[in-house]
Amino acid sequence: MSDIVIDIVNLSKRYSLSHQRRPDSLKAWLRGLAKRGTSGDANHSAEEEFWALKDISLQVRQGECLALIGKNGSGKSTLLKILSRVIPPTSGQIRVRGRVASLLEVGTGFHPELTGRENVFLNGAMLGCPEREIRRRFDAIVDFSGVERFLDTPVKHYSSGMYVRLAYAVAAHVDADILVVDEVLAVGDAEFQRKCLAHMRQLASQQRTCVLVSHNIETIKQLATNVARLDSGAIAEAATVGSDLLDRYALPQ
Amino acid sequence: MTSDPASAQWRTIDGHPPSLLEYCREIHKYREVAYVLIRRDLIVRFRQTYFGLAWLLFKPLMLMAVMSFAFGFLAGFEKSHAAPYPLIIFCGVIPWYFFSNAVPDSMNSLLGHMHIIQKTYFPRAIFPIAAVVSDAIEFFVAWLLFALGCLWFGYLPGWQIVFFPLFCLQLIVLCTAIGLWLSVVNVQFRDIGNLVPFLLMIGFFVTPAGYTSIRIPEQWQMVYALNPLVGVIEGLRWSLLNGMDGFPRTPVILSLATTLAMGLIAVRHFLAVETDLVDLA
Repeated sequence: MSDIVIDIVNLSKRYSLSHQRRPDSLKAWLRGLAKRGTSGDANHSAEEEFWALKDISLQVRQGECLALIGKNGSGKSTLLKILSRVIPPTSGQIRVRGRVASLLEVGTGFHPELTGRENVFLNGAMLGCPEREIRRRFDAIVDFSGVERFLDTPVKHYSSGMYVRLAYAVAAHVDADILVVDEVLAVGDAEFQRKCLAHMRQLASQQRTCVLVSHNIETIKQLATNVARLDSGAIAEAATVGSDLLDRYALPQ
Repeated sequence: MTSDPASAQWRTIDGHPPSLLEYCREIHKYREVAYVLIRRDLIVRFRQTYFGLAWLLFKPLMLMAVMSFAFGFLAGFEKSHAAPYPLIIFCGVIPWYFFSNAVPDSMNSLLGHMHIIQKTYFPRAIFPIAAVVSDAIEFFVAWLLFALGCLWFGYLPGWQIVFFPLFCLQLIVLCTAIGLWLSVVNVQFRDIGNLVPFLLMIGFFVTPAGYTSIRIPEQWQMVYALNPLVGVIEGLRWSLLNGMDGFPRTPVILSLATTLAMGLIAVRHFLAVETDLVDLA
């Protein structure tokens, strides 16, 4: 049991659907206060609740690569966001061991006015990688991205492919114990995608733990060791990648 | 540099607001993000400008010229002061300029970086703090011009100058406190973003930037000094201009009190909603 690195216990996330009720202006808030004063807490019952995640419990061991699958809105991204500490859970908890790097999007924090070189450091810091680490891996990052000629050009002049390749290269070289990846492997051309997959497999061979969301069954088959299918915010099935879960899921229903 | 996860510590993610101590540790851990943000702010501000870094001195120079002209020549405030009028003005206008930039910059820093906040985690307070610090760097560079001004007028500050850093520190704390607080309030109630420019406009007139607070009638001095900038600016003038008009004791004490109160409100409110920011936006 000692090799568990992610321990999710009874995790739930509730959203309130009543957008009109949410005070996003001072006026609405004051009006809400006044209403509460006269009619008690009556407007609370009018709020419609939506449970994006309902009582999820799950464990991931070191070196495992867990793929989350499921329909849109089944809670995959919400789970990754809580794991990345972007949003808090409503109840329950996640315990993690080791450094987590989240790749919910490629190029988070890239600034158009800054050069490729400057953005590598900016993005690296935001992913939690110290500057001296980035400096050490700088050549590898540039090599991986293939944009060395444009390194001192502001990224606003980059083509979208170059942009994404550089961004992915930084993320790929941020050394973390746990990698959280949301559907970002599908970037660049076919050749770059092969490079990404090869890189991810290499990470897996180094006992890094990975949690990823993907709709691409082939990618999952190549990378994942375990699969969990989410449905309406709960775990419907969980199995190893070798089981028939994926094949059944891939079949048109 | 992968640490062995087996020996690494468990961290619990449960959505509870962090304690102040925990939060300060987190900020320290992610301090490099602040460095890069500050560097980015400064680079972006001066890139593609012809004069580049020289703007750091042009801006205060122009401010001082305009204000000295407006208040000294047009409004006739110039008489009755021992120190050179442009230097008196400088001690008021430069802190005001810093304040009136740092407050809106930090106030807008969370909303303006929502696309980052929604995609990755580091302590959110880094955004408003970095905004204040990058403005503070401009603020400090501006004092070089004050030194040049002293040479020009043949003016030498006295021993009181040892208090200069303390008043600067207080001003930075004040801007950070107001900025931290407004940055989260601005996420919850975007009305603030429209309101603050007007408040700053009023603030300029109730702050001794273009004049000195002796102009304020005796019976209003206490109320006037509730504006924390009064104590800071008069304190700066006292420290740099040879104890001009004596030590402004009441404004300095009141200003320390209001700054402290502002800081407590800001930290409490910020920590209470920090983890919920994305859901509030």
